[in-house]
This record gives sequence, C-alpha cells and structure tokens, in this order.
Amino acid sequence: MKKTMIGGALRRSAAALACLAAGVLPAAAANEARPLEPGSEYLMVANYPNNLNVVDLASESVYKTCPLPDAFGPGTTQIAPDRRTAYILNNRFGTIYGIDLDTCRLTFRAEMSQGDNERAKSIASFTVSADGKEVYAVQNPTTIHRDHYRVGAPRFAVYDTRAGLEAKPVRVFPAPRQANIMQAGEDGSVYLAGPNLYKVDVNTGAMTVALPIRDWQRSTHAPLDVLYIWPVQTPTRDFTILYTTAKYQDDKQDMATAEYQYGYLNVNLKSGETEAREFGPLTEIYFTGLRSPKDRNIVYGLLHRLTKYDIAQQKLVQAAELDHTYYTVLSNQAGSRLYLTGTFNDISIHDADTLAKVGQVKLPGGDMSLGTGQVFVR
Amino acid sequence: MKHLKAINNKARLLDKAVAEDRVEEVVAMSAIAGCAATVDPGWEVDAFGGVSSLCQPMESDLYGCADPCWWPAQVPDVMNTYPDWNKDATNSREDWRNLGSVFPGDKL
Repeated sequence: MKKTMIGGALRRSAAALACLAAGVLPAAAANEARPLEPGSEYLMVANYPNNLNVVDLASESVYKTCPLPDAFGPGTTQIAPDRRTAYILNNRFGTIYGIDLDTCRLTFRAEMSQGDNERAKSIASFTVSADGKEVYAVQNPTTIHRDHYRVGAPRFAVYDTRAGLEAKPVRVFPAPRQANIMQAGEDGSVYLAGPNLYKVDVNTGAMTVALPIRDWQRSTHAPLDVLYIWPVQTPTRDFTILYTTAKYQDDKQDMATAEYQYGYLNVNLKSGETEAREFGPLTEIYFTGLRSPKDRNIVYGLLHRLTKYDIAQQKLVQAAELDHTYYTVLSNQAGSRLYLTGTFNDISIHDADTLAKVGQVKLPGGDMSLGTGQVFVR
Repeated sequence: MKHLKAINNKARLLDKAVAEDRVEEVVAMSAIAGCAATVDPGWEVDAFGGVSSLCQPMESDLYGCADPCWWPAQVPDVMNTYPDWNKDATNSREDWRNLGSVFPGDKL
C-alpha cells in the first residue's frame, strides 16, 4: 500500500510538472465586457475549470467566456426571460448564481445550504419563473453532526431574483424525494420531475400530478424507466422527458415476449397541455430527446448517436454516427440546426433534416460534463 | 415489484423491508448524503447486457458520472470529499493521465 501511495504521489508530481512545462493553465476569461447583440442567437454552456461560454450561432464561434466563482459542477444553466441573465447551478450542486451575460458580473447568489452544519444539494432541480421574478430550487439537506449525518426532508425553496448576492428563500414548501429537473409554465406554475411529473403552485406549495410516472398504471405496459437531469428550455416551450417501457403481448404480462419501447412525457409550458406516448422501439439509449420546432411529428434522440423518429409511425427514420457520446441535444429557434453538448469540450453542429454534421465549436477549457446549455435570442 | 426478483443480499433486504412495512426507512436512504447514497451498475455493461451502448470513449462520460456521484464505487467523491481530484485534468480527453487514486489521508 505504501509503495502504491508513494508511486501515486510521484505520478501526480510528474503530471503537475508536465502541465507546467507545457504551459497548461486554466482557461482564461475572454471578452468579459462584450455585450450581447439584440436579435442575435446564442448558445450558452458552462465547462471546466469553471467558465460560462456564450457561442454566437451565426458565426459558430465563441463570443465571450465568463469566469465563474467557486467550483464547477454541474453547470446546469437556465436563461431568464430578459435574455440577459443566466442562472447556473454550480459549486458542486450547492449554489445557484445569476450572471449578467453582457458584463459577466455576478448579480445573484443563493446557497442551497441554510445552516452552518447543513449540507444541501440540488440535483439540477431549479429554474426561473416565466416573468423572471423568482428562482425555484428543490434542495436535499443533510445535517452534519459530530458522529452522524441526518438526512432531512427535501424542500421546494422560492427566491426573489432581486435578492442580490445573499439571497434567502422567501417561501419554503415540502418537496417529494428524488425531485429532479423543473421548468416554469407561463401561467406561473412550475412543472417538477420526480416520482411523477408534478404541477407546483409556487404560492401554496400544492403539488398535483400533471403526468404520472411511477403511478402510471397500464395493464398493457410495464412501469416506466426514466432518466432526466438536463432541463432544456426549448424553442417550442416543450418540457420533454424520455422514458422506456415494455409493451406486453397479452394479459399474461410476460416480460420475455414484451416489446421494448421509447416514449416521451411532454408538457407544453405555454399552453399547459400534457402528452405521454411511445414514439419508437427501444434499440439504443438516449439521454435527451427534443421535439422538432419545425415538425411536431418529429422527435430527436441523443447519446451515442443522433437519431430522428417519426412519432405517428413510431419509426426510426434517420441516424447519424457521432465522433463521441454527447448528452444534450439543443435546437436553434428555426429548428434547422441541432447542437450536441455535454461530455467533452466540443459542440457538434448538425443539420436538423439530414442529421449530417455541418460544424463544430471548440470551447476554451475542459469538459462540459453534465452541464446543460441553452439556446436563446437576445 | 412484481417483475423484479431479488438476487443479492441488498435486494433481499429491500424485499424484507416491504414485507415489514418499513419502506419509508429505505426511501429515506435514497436522498443525497454523500457519494455512497446511490448504487448503480458500472461502466462495464450497458442496459442491454452488452457493451455497444456504453459511452464512447469512456472518458466522455467520466465527469458526467463523477460530478453527481452517479457511480460512487469507481471514482472519488468529487461532490464532497475529494473536490480537487480532477483539478489537473479539466479536459478529460487529453488530461486523463493526471487522474490518480485517492487515499483517506489525501483529504487532510
């Protein structure tokens, strides 16, 4: 063991020297004071070591890079309705920041932990209201005692976005365990993905099931399996979550003969309309899906490949091989371009019709990791 | 649960908790209390029991899984205990050789 430790230390020292020799330093900020241009379309995304990048989509180049305080992770972003303020969950899932994108200035800061011996984390569970006046977060607190930890009840915390750099919750409500991503409806409610997809009254904390997930009981299908940690704000205002299930052949519910399927849960944040349905066979895994802004009958899937499904026909109609795995598929407002983000530090740009790769943007610095980027028009 | 069959000790304990109406105690442990709260299969086998649906290359998925403590057994807890584990490897594709093992003494 001792030999291994010494070996590890030597290896780390050698690696550090190699870095210095090669001049490898954390990516520096760039064009911090450069304001965004009204009418221009941008993609913002965070990455290691701890930057928020703004990419100009017309020129497909990095427009500016804002340095972020504290530590990176997960780098989940939300764009405010003013299209000027970016909110980002960072600092190892422990702090939400507001950044003025024109100046890179920090305008808002809310610690998820509320007490000295409390450690609270938000698992990508936050968003900004449709009017930009409030930020919402589900916090999972643990109290750190001298000799033991005590897991606390999750809470839905509401912040005033004008609260500055020491924001405290103005309202707190109980939240379900395993709460994850959320999006704000234009009627002032919030849709929260947890054991079910809940509609939250942000004034009373009342939660109703907008779409059942765990509680969706169908004799024809197996219970859903879901994965969602990327709250993408889409041009169509669709909040879309993918699920997998298995369709039974008959009432014997035999999993051995069941047909595995992909589906989506969808809430339109503008209309409040909800929809849940299968869109194709389960033949590969996707981490995110996206409804096409151009054609409601098209849904894209992304992980190891970028794919396109005809929803009505429940059929895979196109697929593109990728240079590597990507987590999050984003679209421009027109629905003509797809931007593949997350994992490493390159954004892959694809034609939304043919899925062919048409460009790439390399970010200064390191991995985007789990971070969720957003596309918006200033 | 009717389609799931317990095949290891932990799963049998879960079954036992259901039988004893102690599910709430099990649910409580699914909250985040450090990097040992969730357990998932590793990077070795994909959802279909093969390898073709594993992330390509493996490094592309490394921080996406390490940052949220997704797979606690395979990488250090960067959320709480070893936040500087990857400070010399912010670009995992090029710098992964700078990632080392960690030992309890390292966090002091």
